Amino acid sequence: MSPRETVLRVDWPECRARGLCAELFPEKIQVDEWGYPVVLGPVKASEERAAKDAVDACPRRALHLHTT
Amino acid sequence: MTSSPLLWYLNRGTGVVLLVAFTATVVLGVLATGRSTTPLWPRFVTQGLHRSLAALSVFMLVAHVVSAVVDQYVDIRWWQAVVPFGGTYQPVWLALGAISLDLLAVIVATSLARARVPHRVWFLVHLSAYAAWASAVVHGLFIGTDSDKGWMVSITVGCVVAVGLAVVARIIAVLNGKRVNRKRHDRSGHDGPRRPFGPQSGVEREARHADRTPARAGSTGGAS
Amino acid sequence: MTSPMIHPMIRPPASVDVHSGPLLLSGIDRGPGLAAHRARLGALPEPGIQSLVTLLGDVGVRGRGGAGFPLSRKLQTVMRARGSRATLGGRRPYVVVNAAEGEPASAKDSALLDVAPHLVLDGAVVAARALGAREIHVVSSEDRPWVGAAVHRATNERDDHGIRWVQHEAASRFVSGQSRALIELMAGRPGLPVTSWAPEAVDGHRRRPTLLSNAESFAHLAAVVLWGLDGYAAHGTPEEPGTSLLTLTTPPASDGVFRGVHVVEVEHGDGAATVLDAQALGSPLLVGGFHGSWVHPRDVPALEWSNAVLGEVGARLGAGALLSLSDGSCAVSETARYTSYLAGESAGRCGPCRNGLPAMATEMEGLAFGADTRRRLRELAGLVTGRGACAHPDGTARLVGSLLTTLDDHVEAHLDGACACSGSGRAPRGERPAHTGTQHLAVQR
Repeated sequence: MSPRETVLRVDWPECRARGLCAELFPEKIQVDEWGYPVVLGPVKASEERAAKDAVDACPRRALHLHTT
Repeated sequence: MTSSPLLWYLNRGTGVVLLVAFTATVVLGVLATGRSTTPLWPRFVTQGLHRSLAALSVFMLVAHVVSAVVDQYVDIRWWQAVVPFGGTYQPVWLALGAISLDLLAVIVATSLARARVPHRVWFLVHLSAYAAWASAVVHGLFIGTDSDKGWMVSITVGCVVAVGLAVVARIIAVLNGKRVNRKRHDRSGHDGPRRPFGPQSGVEREARHADRTPARAGSTGGAS
Repeated sequence: MTSPMIHPMIRPPASVDVHSGPLLLSGIDRGPGLAAHRARLGALPEPGIQSLVTLLGDVGVRGRGGAGFPLSRKLQTVMRARGSRATLGGRRPYVVVNAAEGEPASAKDSALLDVAPHLVLDGAVVAARALGAREIHVVSSEDRPWVGAAVHRATNERDDHGIRWVQHEAASRFVSGQSRALIELMAGRPGLPVTSWAPEAVDGHRRRPTLLSNAESFAHLAAVVLWGLDGYAAHGTPEEPGTSLLTLTTPPASDGVFRGVHVVEVEHGDGAATVLDAQALGSPLLVGGFHGSWVHPRDVPALEWSNAVLGEVGARLGAGALLSLSDGSCAVSETARYTSYLAGESAGRCGPCRNGLPAMATEMEGLAFGADTRRRLRELAGLVTGRGACAHPDGTARLVGSLLTTLDDHVEAHLDGACACSGSGRAPRGERPAHTGTQHLAVQR
């Protein structure tokens, strides 16, 4: 049984590489050479505030927070 | 008491501040989708300021409407703040104010409920901010008591120019982006028509449907 | 500066040799008609959902569309999402047969629907009855119009009461056969992949539970029901009972059309020599089509057609498309060609795929021309994997990755100029274009 994890998921067809998510949560979101987000791992409890800010900031609502 | 000059000045004051705040909100909104960003001014600052100024504008708008309705010096009823007809005091210009408020109400509501609203719907509603802003500018220009004063004219002109410049800058950026993208697509070719590999370029897509021989059932197993 | 990249067209074969087999292809000499099918196999049983799930679980039937998902588990998911009989009116499930076969190197689904359509349709009907579905949708590709025609003929012959057959034709694209793309097509939108937050078994056509499986998967479902557990499991191995359809091809000609294609049925555990000739046994073999993996010539003779053995050399059966370089083609040139084709087949909806795949194609072209672009290729493969709405970039990365890993000796030989292809003209030597570091940015506005 896998432990419960909070992860960030990108809705790729919606993403337009605006980059706000990476600005607000650089610890776990970086951008690749084309400007698209690279998610670096699950979100720790201490990081949930920053993760929610990143989700809220996306102008295309392309970033989602899921708890598995 | 409900006809004191204080309410009148409050209404006019909030009107002017509202115009500036609303204009700044629109300008920031127009510039928010630009691709260029510097370390000194990241995207989220533009977005944060846009949202904060929008919230400020909403408060100013409420104060502006309340002070106008409560003040009995002019006859403006509550419902005339949202219904753009049937008013008695300067009905046409008042109506423009009501229209602006109505549009803003929908814009703010969809933005607050953004997670539940499909992006397309949110975007189209948000576009009406231009109409709401223009409506507000004209409303202030004609209903405003201070419209003929020099400082008021300067502020109004300044606001119109600011939004105008922002829109022009955005259009230029979009056209530039399209031109650059087209050049890059030509280079990479992946947006262009697909052509067959090799020297035979005359093979058309339709031709392969022309003669189709049915799958033949072989007799023995084991192919080579 | 590199010349503009032209993405090649690669097209499925217009005709295929279908060979007789032990199960699915056992009655093809009697023709595709319903009467012959029933005469040979009898009336179609109607197992309830629980016994069907148990039966498929005992045999361990896996999907044949490429992912290999256990069919019994998929049925269970649909059943659970469907809910109890009390709410059946609102959440009646759908059954969808995926015969879109977007992979041009695969012809087994179109062949199956041509020579034994009623086995596929029987499987769909059994599933529909067990799930309480009333509509069965069949999706074929406009690339292979004879498939749609064959399905139409077959459904007209049938008399399954309470079942409505609906046919769709997908655009001729590589990604047309992806499950979400099918759901999109059926909803009247462009048949391209979108992000899926829940599987189709839970939230599919019209937001209802949908059993969407490959055509061959439905044929196996019918085979298990018609032959029974013992009859079906008499073939294959104890760990992997049953059979699989394979498509055997060699690289397409310069016009991009596959020719000399064979479709065969093998029992799981059968050795490579049952379907590969001496030439193929000594050449690199691409297992799983354009999203598959290369198998080194030294490993090919010992191959068995089972995921257990294939897994040992880093490959999976996938949709059963095998491409052998027995014609002497160069693995590097061919991989470059397929990568370029796959880049052109991107739906263009996801940034990493839209940018990364053409970049990989450029680097592969460079590799074919003799430039050592391997580090950049590995970097790009890592950048595109898992970052899209579908598995198109992942599959492309897998193809390139397997070339660099499994056939590293072939790549080295190619770069040293010792490759057999240097004289064939497929990869012109001499001119080594300067490798540019700039990336082609293509961002939707």
